[in-house]
Amino acid sequence: MIRDITIGQYFPGTSVIHKLDPRMKIILTVLNIASLFLCRNFFSLLLMLAISVVWVLLSRISFKTILKGLKMILVILLFTAFLQIFYNDGGTVLWHPVESWDFKITTEGVFSAIFIAVRIVALILLSTLLTYTTSPTLLTDAIERLLSPLKVFHIKVHSLAMMMTIALRFIPTLIEEIDIIMSAQKARGADLETGSLMQRAKALVPILVPLFVNSFRRAYELAFAMEARCYGGDGKRTRLRVMKLQGRDFAMLAIALVCLAAAIVTSVVDMGGFFLFEKVI
Amino acid sequence: MAFLEVKNIGYSYSKGTPFEIVALHDCSFSVEKGEYVGVIGHTGSGKSTLMQMLNALVKPDSGTVMLDGKDINADKETARDTRFRVGLCFQYPEYQLFEETVRKDIAYGPTNMKLSAEEIEQRVQESAQIVGLPPELLDKSPFDLSGGEKRRAAIAGVMAMKPEVLILDEPAAGLDPIGRKVIMDMIEKYRLATGATVLLVSHSMETVAAVADRILVLNKGGIAMDGTVDEVFSRSDELIAMGLDVPAVTRIAVRLKEKGLPVDPCVYSVPQAVSMLLKLIGKKEGTA
Ligand SMILES: Nc1ncnc2c1ncn2[C@@H]1O[C@H](COP(=O)(O)OP(=O)(O)OP(=O)(O)O)[C@@H](O)[C@H]1O
Ligand SMILES: [Mg+2]
Repeated sequence: MIRDITIGQYFPGTSVIHKLDPRMKIILTVLNIASLFLCRNFFSLLLMLAISVVWVLLSRISFKTILKGLKMILVILLFTAFLQIFYNDGGTVLWHPVESWDFKITTEGVFSAIFIAVRIVALILLSTLLTYTTSPTLLTDAIERLLSPLKVFHIKVHSLAMMMTIALRFIPTLIEEIDIIMSAQKARGADLETGSLMQRAKALVPILVPLFVNSFRRAYELAFAMEARCYGGDGKRTRLRVMKLQGRDFAMLAIALVCLAAAIVTSVVDMGGFFLFEKVI
Repeated sequence: MAFLEVKNIGYSYSKGTPFEIVALHDCSFSVEKGEYVGVIGHTGSGKSTLMQMLNALVKPDSGTVMLDGKDINADKETARDTRFRVGLCFQYPEYQLFEETVRKDIAYGPTNMKLSAEEIEQRVQESAQIVGLPPELLDKSPFDLSGGEKRRAAIAGVMAMKPEVLILDEPAAGLDPIGRKVIMDMIEKYRLATGATVLLVSHSMETVAAVADRILVLNKGGIAMDGTVDEVFSRSDELIAMGLDVPAVTRIAVRLKEKGLPVDPCVYSVPQAVSMLLKLIGKKEGTA
């Protein structure tokens, strides 16, 4: 059902990953993703995959939950990997059905397909773990602090962060509401599953209209409630939460930097023909 | 065989995740044609979930729901057909209005039933009349109506399908006593006009006791009691223990009984309370 969507969900916990400074967690995620994209060989890719798996283990979130999140992108994953097979035609030919066609499968094609698939999986693991282990309020708070240097350019960092907090806060509410409206219209005989594409698009109207109307109503109510409590984003505000970097934050940063260095060095320096270090992409 | 028969149904939300919640377990009951059944229970006791199972919106994990001797979840057609025979009006139905005019919104259900244009128009008129929506409102946008009028339009939308079983999930939520009375009168009108079976979900025992023939009490996902209004209220102390909001007069009767006075706690309306108190005083005077 629609409620099984877990993107942006937060799983409360007390693991090391949960306790990391959220600012550092964002930086680490960015660094790790950068390393992933700089990977050129299986050695650094496997290193990054190992790091992602260690992160998941440390977070004590069950693999089952994580795999469920992956299920959503399985189609995209397979499709990308499939295309990649034909994108690269170096190496030995494995399958070449019609001699005159340029259509063939080669070892390098297969390797790069595997490479891309693993890279996407690691990417999803790392980025979902950030939201799985950080509450939305902490996350936006951290983003606000990280972006605060931009205030120099008169960018309203605080307002941006508040908008993000509110948007994140209302994702589950919206999902719940879509579920209820869908049920209610189905109870009046709405048919969402059969018919031509046009008919199905039309069948969405009874769901989208109440959804928008209710969202606007809620937005007004929220705005009035905030104004009634004299909310103002511009004034000097003090903070409830103090964020302080600790030993574990620096330890994780060191690991992430080593990985980044490994990814760069192994792709630039010639490691002497050893398979794991051969350039795949 | 009863008209509507629910056998051993169970249901969990988010099955197979760390958030799994058992909403219902091993619920069985049956409803005869034309009965007026009140369904009460504490917040989260599973009332709404149970009601969505009776019109095949939610498929039970275990157990069966039979309507007229047929399993409503047998196949897709039966399930869809059941939605027209068992009309379900959700909590706060006014948030589900969507059409340009009230008339079109009420006609949404009948249109999905593929009825003829004349038949649809006739049903719209009839149900608007039952809920007391004046004809001049039918051509207004539903978003321009008052809150109470929106609620009526939404209920009319369900009644227009002329369901044999009408289920209303807290139809009077958030209304004042007069508004509540108006809704109850609407349901009564529909019942008289069509002879339909009615299931009314409510937090308010007082409302249910006044209209229903029978009461189902849900507690923590199971059926805790199933009986006539008198049978259920004779166990008022248990109702209070379940955290249900029993009428003030019932509370008084239970407290009197706790004090050791010879009182029947099956009291749920003011006239009953008066006669109970009179009996009590009379007896005391007699013994004194
Ligand atoms: N869509 C859902 N996803 C997960 N859990 C749900 C969902 N809907 C209901 N629940 C849970 O199932 C249980 C039963 O809920 P249900 O809505 O049936 O209760 P209810 O008796 O109608 O309560 P109320 O009187 O507040 O309307 C509750 O514990 C609730 O938290
Ligand atoms: Mg409910």
